[in-house]
Amino acid sequence: MSLRLTLTNPPPLRLDLRGITPAALAGLGPDAIAALPLGHGPRTLPLGDCFRVDGSLDDDEDVLVLAGDLSRVDRIGWQLGAGRMIVDGPAGDHAGGCLAGGSLRVIGSAGLLAGVEMAGGLLRIEGDAGDFAAGTLPGSMDGMRGGTLVVTGRVGARFADRMRRGTAVVFGDAGDFLGARMVAGTVALGGRAGAHAGYGMRRGSLVFAGPAPALAPTFVPGHGDVAVFWQLLARDLARLGGPFAALPGAAIERRLGDLAADGKGELILAGA
Amino acid sequence: MTDAAQTINGVVIDDGFAEAFPMRATRIVVTAHEIAWARHAAVAATGFATSVIACGCEAAIECELGADETPDGRPGISVLLFAMSGKELAKQVERRVGQCVLTCPTTAVFAGLADGEPIALGKNLRFFGDGWQTAKVIAGTRYWRIPVMDGEFVAQETTAVTKNAVGGGNLLLLARDTGAALAAAEAVVAAIRRLPNVILPFPGGVVRSGSKVGSKYPALGASTNDAFCPSLLGLARRSELTPEIGSVMEIVIDGLSEADVAAAMTTGLQAAIGVGAAGGLLRVAAGNYGGKLGPYHFHLLRLLGRAAPPAAPGGAA
Repeated sequence: MSLRLTLTNPPPLRLDLRGITPAALAGLGPDAIAALPLGHGPRTLPLGDCFRVDGSLDDDEDVLVLAGDLSRVDRIGWQLGAGRMIVDGPAGDHAGGCLAGGSLRVIGSAGLLAGVEMAGGLLRIEGDAGDFAAGTLPGSMDGMRGGTLVVTGRVGARFADRMRRGTAVVFGDAGDFLGARMVAGTVALGGRAGAHAGYGMRRGSLVFAGPAPALAPTFVPGHGDVAVFWQLLARDLARLGGPFAALPGAAIERRLGDLAADGKGELILAGA
Repeated sequence: MTDAAQTINGVVIDDGFAEAFPMRATRIVVTAHEIAWARHAAVAATGFATSVIACGCEAAIECELGADETPDGRPGISVLLFAMSGKELAKQVERRVGQCVLTCPTTAVFAGLADGEPIALGKNLRFFGDGWQTAKVIAGTRYWRIPVMDGEFVAQETTAVTKNAVGGGNLLLLARDTGAALAAAEAVVAAIRRLPNVILPFPGGVVRSGSKVGSKYPALGASTNDAFCPSLLGLARRSELTPEIGSVMEIVIDGLSEADVAAAMTTGLQAAIGVGAAGGLLRVAAGNYGGKLGPYHFHLLRLLGRAAPPAAPGGAA
């Protein structure tokens, strides 16, 4: 059996769903779940005031489903460590933030800071994601540091800012400063990138399966045979489908940089 | 040879057993732009690796891999390496990959075992990159990219070690003369080399200098197996041979598990029987140390299904 929480009475302020994870709700009855406190502005209110509770989580295979227009519900799947969650509708800010394991699937778009500082697991957004996805929390030095983030739509600015590890892919377009200040990891983009892609990146790989981005003069042409690495990476990205399915057969060009930083990053141009 | 020995196709199969030992082992996959270069690297990396007595490890090519069987879509070679400890195995892997694979044009190296304690593969070789090396985690596996003069050398960070490996499975082929002994040995080697998970670490898969434990010289731990030397028949205090035997060859088998060694010995026995007395093969025996040193005992007749299984638990095959 799975647990379905349907948003029936949207409150006037934004809701904070941190702590509402499969592990926390496992074994609880509907009344106990309905009594759980949710952040609502400066105060809390019982979950049952906003959501209808159907079902329960009885074993590890059960799915926690959140349904409705959750675009003003933040921190869905925050620090999720295990289990499966599905958002059947749009999600608010910080969706999948600090994700450490398990999976969160958003069947809709997500707000700001989706997958921020995620360290493991799978976050799949079947829509668009706002600015700062896969980036850092304010004041933090590292952005995404593990796991896999898939966005099938577009993403805003500063996607994968200060990313350190993991794989983040976007089927559509990206805003400005894609992969800026990257430390390591892999970002793949199927659509068009905004200005300043890879700005200040130290290491890591930005893969462009679609149009090549505008290239800063601090990136230099890459020479030499990197076919082995490319096949390993391309085959892994191809599993995600969409604009990446044909990557293993693509001829690539590389630009290395950002020479203004450590200079060991690479822009891989794999578009036709 | 005992009274319980059986004759099949004119070949006497001893009622004896091969005594084998636990080892640590790993598999690595070497790929290259063309199979010839992968083979060059694999041959070099498995050179001087016939016996742990003086080589540090026992290693050989397991098989060739097609482009559809390797992580990077290029042709490759699967190599198995065996040692008496995980520490020694790690040392040998690092040295051999560092000197023989890293150096060979266009090669890359990957782990061939998924489960087991990890030892360094590219983890320390990365420092050859002098700071230009970069790591990349792909599908949960970490690789190192080390700039070299033909592009970059890609090495998986670690490879797994199995503790279930068995070394020292063996067959002794007793033949009428040198030509017959070589022909029988080559037939056995060809049959066993078709199997996965096993290697025959000696030159051509064959040993002509079988050894016994100990020596009259205190500094030596092993010495010639005089009981199987035709030239010592009538001279040595004890001989396993009869006058019609003119040459003896040994096949030594290392496998990733007890079952793999048993399967290889069974296949080898069947190939030897196929050669038969008509081919000059007169007898098949196996080397052991009285059963007191190695925990794995592979009884020849039991492998062929021609003897009762052991009455007490313990032992193998």
